[in-house]
Amino acid sequence: MEPLLEIRDLKKTFKIKNFFGSTTEVQALKGISLSIAKGESLGIVGESGCGKSTLANLIIRLDEPTEGSIILDGQDISHIKEKALRKLRSRIQIVFQDPYSSLSPRMTVEEILTEPMCVEGVKTTKQMRDKAVELLELVGMRSSNLSRYPHEFSGGQRQRLSIARALTTEPDILLLDEPTSALDVSVQAQVLNILTSLQKQMNLTYLFISHNLAVVKYISNRTAVMYRGKVMEIGPSKNILMSPAHPYTKKLLEAVPIVGKPFHQPDTEDGSVNDGDIVDGCSYYYRCPFAEKRCLEQQPEFLAKEASHLVACWKG
Amino acid sequence: MENILSIKNLSVSLSGKRGIVPILHNISLEVEQGHILGIVGESGSGKSMTAFAINQLLPGGRKSIVDGSISFCGEDLTEKTEKEMTKFRGKEIAMIFQEPMTCLNPVFTIGRQMKDVIMTHQKKSSKEAEKQAEEMLEKVHIRNPNRVLSCYPYELSGGMRQRVMIAIALSCSPKLLIADEPTTALDVTIQAQIIFLIKEACKATGTGVIFISHDLGVVSQLCDTIAVMYSGQIVEVGRAADVLAHPQHPYTKALLASVPSFTPREDGNDTLSAIPGMVPDPLEVITGCRFAPRCSYAMDICHKKVPPLQIFADGYSLHCHLQKEVEN
Amino acid sequence: MIISPKKIIGILEQNTLTLIGTIMVVFIIFIGVAAPLICPYDPNLMNIPARLQAPSLAHFFGTDEMGSDVFTRVIYGARISITVGLSIVVIAAGIGCFFGSISGYAGGKIDRIIMAATDMVLSFPSMVLALALTAAMGPGLFNTMLAVCIVRIPLYVRLMRGQVLALKEMQYVRAARTFGESPAKIVLRHIIPNCLTPLLVQMTLGIGDAILIASSMSFIGLGAQPPTPEWGAMIATARIYAIDQWWYAAFPGLFILITVMGFNLLGDGIRDILDPRSKD
Repeated sequence: MEPLLEIRDLKKTFKIKNFFGSTTEVQALKGISLSIAKGESLGIVGESGCGKSTLANLIIRLDEPTEGSIILDGQDISHIKEKALRKLRSRIQIVFQDPYSSLSPRMTVEEILTEPMCVEGVKTTKQMRDKAVELLELVGMRSSNLSRYPHEFSGGQRQRLSIARALTTEPDILLLDEPTSALDVSVQAQVLNILTSLQKQMNLTYLFISHNLAVVKYISNRTAVMYRGKVMEIGPSKNILMSPAHPYTKKLLEAVPIVGKPFHQPDTEDGSVNDGDIVDGCSYYYRCPFAEKRCLEQQPEFLAKEASHLVACWKG
Repeated sequence: MENILSIKNLSVSLSGKRGIVPILHNISLEVEQGHILGIVGESGSGKSMTAFAINQLLPGGRKSIVDGSISFCGEDLTEKTEKEMTKFRGKEIAMIFQEPMTCLNPVFTIGRQMKDVIMTHQKKSSKEAEKQAEEMLEKVHIRNPNRVLSCYPYELSGGMRQRVMIAIALSCSPKLLIADEPTTALDVTIQAQIIFLIKEACKATGTGVIFISHDLGVVSQLCDTIAVMYSGQIVEVGRAADVLAHPQHPYTKALLASVPSFTPREDGNDTLSAIPGMVPDPLEVITGCRFAPRCSYAMDICHKKVPPLQIFADGYSLHCHLQKEVEN
Repeated sequence: MIISPKKIIGILEQNTLTLIGTIMVVFIIFIGVAAPLICPYDPNLMNIPARLQAPSLAHFFGTDEMGSDVFTRVIYGARISITVGLSIVVIAAGIGCFFGSISGYAGGKIDRIIMAATDMVLSFPSMVLALALTAAMGPGLFNTMLAVCIVRIPLYVRLMRGQVLALKEMQYVRAARTFGESPAKIVLRHIIPNCLTPLLVQMTLGIGDAILIASSMSFIGLGAQPPTPEWGAMIATARIYAIDQWWYAAFPGLFILITVMGFNLLGDGIRDILDPRSKD
């Protein structure tokens, strides 16, 4: 099947200026390749600092990629200019993590929901209002909320408003950047259920970013595990959860708190190990309990464990 | 084993712009030495308020406590003056919070802040305090304590900051540690490490711990006893194994079902079960059980009468009409 | 942005100080506007035989050394002070906000130039700089206003720049970019409305300050010149009579106090009223 969105060897380097004006470079993405088919949902899992949010920002073009290409429906969108970009905005939308800062505090729900439509500028006020009501109902909220302000809602409701706002332009792809991390588990369940039912109804394509593997499973058909700007393992979510191949995936799985699962004593690694400059080898080298010499010298290639289950590990 | 803390029939009301708001209704809890008590509930259920009440840090001060007693090692904290309380806070009762960044002063180094805390509560010279700070950081498994001591808070990651907070909290060997959602802002991997640290410290020093969280999954990993709170009430308390394996209260059941898991459910339906609606506003008048409007098992009586407290063996107690029905 | 009258009344009921401030400001504006209707005399009418009379039914606040009615002069003084205060603040804020938003949103070289200019002005004590400017341009009410205005502009540039910088990074502003909003629209729809509260608060507090500085300048003889019924100028003349004829200096002083305090209290109140989070 022709992929809807394809990412080829995407790289992003941030230049950080220090006080004295000299710059250091930080590689946030070190060559990521992914593809998502229409109607599919891909989960991206990793700890903070692994580059998952940078990836989302690049796809939605809030940031410019350093190298590589992002291809939407056969068109390379990685370097198109502001004007052409604005037309494209309606096809990819994003829901951010923090429900408290992602809605403008001085706009009513109606203003928030109709704003993206105003930018498109094809609908009358009445049409936009009807659409806003329809969207609210989609995310399980009443139309009487239209004239209220964001501060009157709870975190979960705000996140639903963010989802509704992202859907106003009828996008093909929805980027979900940790949409439930700031919510209570009980509310998280509500939001996850809404997301799954929306996907079925509207045939949406999701890119779901999270640090919790158990959450990703509820949304995604496929899951990619990222570490330090590289994909470590990618495959059907079921395979990743049931038979993880990469040592890092295993570590992530052990950390997920699940009722009834005995507590697995984690390593006491405090994150201060120097693993900055691995040029040729595996980024996970310094933390990997199974690392050997080859891992430092040679970047592991993707090995197919099963047809669609790829692992970047020499021991996979 | 000896109880470090026992809260009896505690009720708290805050007076604000909207009048007097009842926050906690008749709460009773006990923490044993070297044990971990988990308080679970959604935001707005009164978990943090319980913690503030123990420390006498409620917004309205002592006046907010309408009824009940908080006995800490035989002394009733509700009768202490503000001055007397300062001797307890930090030294006897330590606290850690969700966002460690806001608890550390950004303009001082970690070392300076740790020394300050140690020297406030213990008669120690600057040198001794520094040495103790270093030891504390080693205890929370920080590899290079000297480097961390000279760091400013912004130079550390979220996980490291939380470790530092735990080190500070434990530096005066408190009898009770209150951890208010200490892992909510962290990655799952770091969360597992913090859980481990708290567990280790508790078992090693005999410190009693109150661990507050909205996630039953997290609580199930480290607590000996679990108290489930809803809208200012404790609905179910018991040994962790009992509560998790055989939850009696519909709210506990619903919370359990909302925790994401790996294995598909038995009925093959793979959607998570969410609890419909929200925690009610504390001002909302609800006759009967406060959970009844959201409860899928609610009966007529639930809307009319407040369920009585039923006490069973092994410190298990429950506030629910349903259980009574079954017995009858 | 909709603020219901009900909400305003609610806040006034809860907050006595805001209520007092509002009453003071409304009172001063009212007497300023209605001065000719209230006052029994002409403010500059001289009546030497009746000079320096104590307050009486004919002259509520007594008379000055020329025999003019102090009550009338104080009331007319409100007109001058309000006009001076308002025009200084509106002009300074207008210019300041314009440069502030450009500085914050554009960044880079433009930002550095604008900030260098503001820093230069701010490195002088504002009163001294205003004095120097007026002295250079020549004494007079208009020149004083101009000088005070120039001195106050950097305050608004800084305020606005800081607000814009903070808001630019908010996620709802980033979200607006993902819809394809143009930069100008983002500033107008998302940034300006969220800057309004601190701006209006600063402006209201600024009116009080501006009136005070302008009066001080008149007091030392650089601003309004006698016989203009300006409060600062009146107190300056009244200084020599202050011990025996207390009313001459006391009443203009009292009105400066009422006005400045009124605007300051109102400024604090506006903060509460404009905050969308405060309860209806």
